[in-house]
Amino acid sequence: MNNELSNLIHQARSGDIRAASRLMSRMVDEPQRLVELFSETDDCPQPRLVLGITGAPGSGKSTLTDRIAGEYRNRYPDRKLGIIAVDPSSPFTGGAVLGDRVRMMRHSTDPMIFIRSLASRGHLGGLALGARAVVHVMGLIGCEVILVETVGVGQSEVEVASRCDLTLVVLAPGQGDSIQMLKAGLMEAGNLFVINKADRDGADQLYQSLVSVLQLKPKNEIRSAGYCTDVVPELENVFLVSAFEGRNIDRLVDAIELYTHQHHEQWKAHRQRQVQEEVREALLEEVRRRVLKVMGVNGRSEARIDRILRGETGVAELASELMKEAAGMTEKGDL
Amino acid sequence: MDRNDKRIRILIGKPGLDGHDRGAKYVAQILRDAGFEVIYTGIRRTPEQIVEAAIQEDVSAIGLSLLSGAHKFLFKRVIDLLKEKGASDIQVFGGGTIPPDDIPMLKQMGVCAVFTPGTPGRVIVQTLKEHLQVPA
Amino acid sequence: MSEISECIARIESQKRDWEDRTVSRTILRFPEQRKEFVTGSGKPVERLYTPDASVLADYESKLGFPGCYPFTRGVQPTMYRGRFWTMRQYAGFATAEESNRRYKYLLSQGTTGLSVAFDLPTQIGYDSDDPMSLGEVGKVGVAIDSLADMETLFEGIPLDQVSTSMTINSTAAILLAMYIAVAEKQGVAPEKLNGTIQNDILKEYIARGTYRFPPKPSLRLISDIFAYCTKHVPNWNTISISGYHIREAGSTAAQEIGFTLADAICYIETALKAGLKIDDFGPRLAFFFAAHSDLFEEVAKFRAARRLYARIMKQRFGASDKSAMLRFHTQTGGVTLTAQQPENNIVRVTIQALAAVLGGTQSLHTNSKDEALALPTEESVTVALRTQQIIAYESGVTSTIDPLAGSFYVERLTDELESEAEALIRKIDDIGGMVAAIEQGFVQKQIEESAYRFGQTIESGDRVIVGVNKFQSSEQTRMQLFEVPEVSQQRQIEKVRQIRRNRDRTRVETALEEVRQAARGTENLMPPILNAVKAYATLGEISQTLVSVFGEYNETGH
Repeated sequence: MNNELSNLIHQARSGDIRAASRLMSRMVDEPQRLVELFSETDDCPQPRLVLGITGAPGSGKSTLTDRIAGEYRNRYPDRKLGIIAVDPSSPFTGGAVLGDRVRMMRHSTDPMIFIRSLASRGHLGGLALGARAVVHVMGLIGCEVILVETVGVGQSEVEVASRCDLTLVVLAPGQGDSIQMLKAGLMEAGNLFVINKADRDGADQLYQSLVSVLQLKPKNEIRSAGYCTDVVPELENVFLVSAFEGRNIDRLVDAIELYTHQHHEQWKAHRQRQVQEEVREALLEEVRRRVLKVMGVNGRSEARIDRILRGETGVAELASELMKEAAGMTEKGDL
Repeated sequence: MDRNDKRIRILIGKPGLDGHDRGAKYVAQILRDAGFEVIYTGIRRTPEQIVEAAIQEDVSAIGLSLLSGAHKFLFKRVIDLLKEKGASDIQVFGGGTIPPDDIPMLKQMGVCAVFTPGTPGRVIVQTLKEHLQVPA
Repeated sequence: MSEISECIARIESQKRDWEDRTVSRTILRFPEQRKEFVTGSGKPVERLYTPDASVLADYESKLGFPGCYPFTRGVQPTMYRGRFWTMRQYAGFATAEESNRRYKYLLSQGTTGLSVAFDLPTQIGYDSDDPMSLGEVGKVGVAIDSLADMETLFEGIPLDQVSTSMTINSTAAILLAMYIAVAEKQGVAPEKLNGTIQNDILKEYIARGTYRFPPKPSLRLISDIFAYCTKHVPNWNTISISGYHIREAGSTAAQEIGFTLADAICYIETALKAGLKIDDFGPRLAFFFAAHSDLFEEVAKFRAARRLYARIMKQRFGASDKSAMLRFHTQTGGVTLTAQQPENNIVRVTIQALAAVLGGTQSLHTNSKDEALALPTEESVTVALRTQQIIAYESGVTSTIDPLAGSFYVERLTDELESEAEALIRKIDDIGGMVAAIEQGFVQKQIEESAYRFGQTIESGDRVIVGVNKFQSSEQTRMQLFEVPEVSQQRQIEKVRQIRRNRDRTRVETALEEVRQAARGTENLMPPILNAVKAYATLGEISQTLVSVFGEYNETGH
């Protein structure tokens, strides 16, 4: 166990906000160390609810997240809340502009809300690789509800469902691809469906098509999707709201709370599976890093690849070679 | 790109009441192009909101853009708040409509760099990399 | 008709010959300076333009005559032969006393209209002693907290003899009410008042940022002002729909007119829904554009804007010719000023002002050379004003109307900009109107992308800015800059506190309660606001009362 990590964990647990935010950075930079975080904090309280919020770009996710946060703070003034907002990294430079906070700034000075923006860093699936660790650290500092807003770039965002207790899918009229996205997997990922911007033309129409799509889906198919969708989407799972005007947010939060109450027990098993899944990913991440390391930088990897291209070796042979080399590598990356 | 590089994070914000965000947004974009992760907080923020956000986001630096002439007061407030919160290691830089005569005073206050209109993007990036000790 | 097309065909074939023989030979020996030539907004520019049949064939519908539909060539029949544009310099700083002195100076120097700059707290609806105002009081304009400040601001300036333009948006109703109240105290009836309030909230959400209330109640305030002024202040320009700030934020010329006219459509539709008649308020709608340095593109932009607006008014809203006239104020481009070698800015401003005049502007503000660094000094404001006077009296460009009409290049640019802008308006219609487009961040994103592209062309050296990325000089020009006196802020805070102590408390409370009731209902908000202003309720108190009913707007992000 690395001492520095251990210190950060200790300080974060004692309520040091800077330590907590540094710990988050550390876990995002080195997600393979999630296991260390888990093992050192298994006695810590964990959040009551981790709520995923996903949907098409322009559906108003950030504004909705902001409103849900506001509603929770009104209802439970003495309880902490965390928000994680993920934005895409540039595939060219690795940099990112994380702008979700703009809509949430009014919570910025609320000592009971901790907001963290994450860049996807090339990770597909709508989250960032370290997102789960950030959830965990938010748990350490006492956040009891955590809202996780996904990138919102398209159809591959179902990952959020496997990382959260409960997933909200946000749609809005005028977003032509909403229903397409649903058909491409978001429907299975969602527990509750929100039609935002309900004051706009086309909201009713969207509601109708959403309901018909949800009803068309056979029950067993949804079950077999492997996520936590153990309830068939029904009309009660669809909400018309206006995040911009703050309308119907209270009803939505009522539903979230009811759902949480009903499924609380089932989530325990789900969370156990999540932990296993995350450790598996951390393990793969460590292997990936080691293999990348032995593959070499600055021309070394190109040289190896050229050998394949010249027919001197095959992909399978080279892979075995790399794994052998990686096996001889210590934790620090020395050969 | 390697998705697990350590990335330097920088917050870009506009304290005070002026809404001209072209410069702030442009700097956010060139910093993104230079590989930084930029947390953009938008216009009309109080120094308190900016400092709190900077701490939660674990940034290495805060960039403040101001065109209203309120820079003396607002830069100082941000720097004072960082001190109060034990976060003086977070660097502060700035830009906007800032008379050259005010720059020495801002630097003395603890502002690490001031970029006036027309500063080329690569100069901004290079200056920040030096201050934040990012390997080239 | 066929004669014309034969003519055109002949010229086109000759042009091809010229390209193939003469030009290509020359290029082999002397390559052109760049592969692609573009306008200031990045539109491709051809080597040579030749006559276009439509300028003659469709002359009446595309160009027409000055003062006649579609107003491409100008809104008045005689333009500057009758009278010059209004030379209006935007000014205001610190306290009302100090601004009042600057206005009197400007009037003595030949300015023909006042243009009031308010500080940011006034523009957003905070009193000077509000914690949100810290550091901002009196900085970018004058601080107005109550009617008392407004009385001082116009002390000794007879309001029936000047036209006053006020850059005020979310709190426009309150400041207009104060202006009406000051006039009343001077013995000037509202129907005698001339001037403009900017009152364009949509571009605040898009580009300028001094919003306070959400779009819906803000639009209601605007149509309340339309209705009130139609009845009581008939010569007042109730709105100045502004592309200026959209352009400053980084848009292209086409986006500037496209988004501005889309804003106009939204205001008109709101007013029509509120039961107003198009020709009652249509003639009072005014516009405000930027003038940048690409002379021809800017001239074409103004002409395209006039033609497109006229068509929209007529075809979409069935307006009369009088309502279909696009009258506009112009300001030279603030973002084009450089902090480096500031004297060069005088030359930039001259070209831009010329573009505005050749484009047929109704009034003009020329920027001062030092504005990239601070508020302007009196001396630099004077040079800026003299620039306009030289164009008016010495350059000769004012002697004939629309002198660039018929330029093959300018007519083509006019057509292209018009159709680009029209396409943007259609796009916004498809999204569901301007409010929806703003909420989705569509407009902001378009502008942001243009600004980024523009910046990148400077970074790469593709676009030259003299003194910035080429012809730099290491010499530092020392300039005397203007600085707002620090003591003003404290004085202003004391003043508003004193006002609050000395007024009739019950009267203020009753008046504010009336504003609140009106805000909850649907009656026109202007009368109760005017009443509150007269009771010396402060700007901050009235704004807060409105916030208690309307709520506040938050930035939507990307």
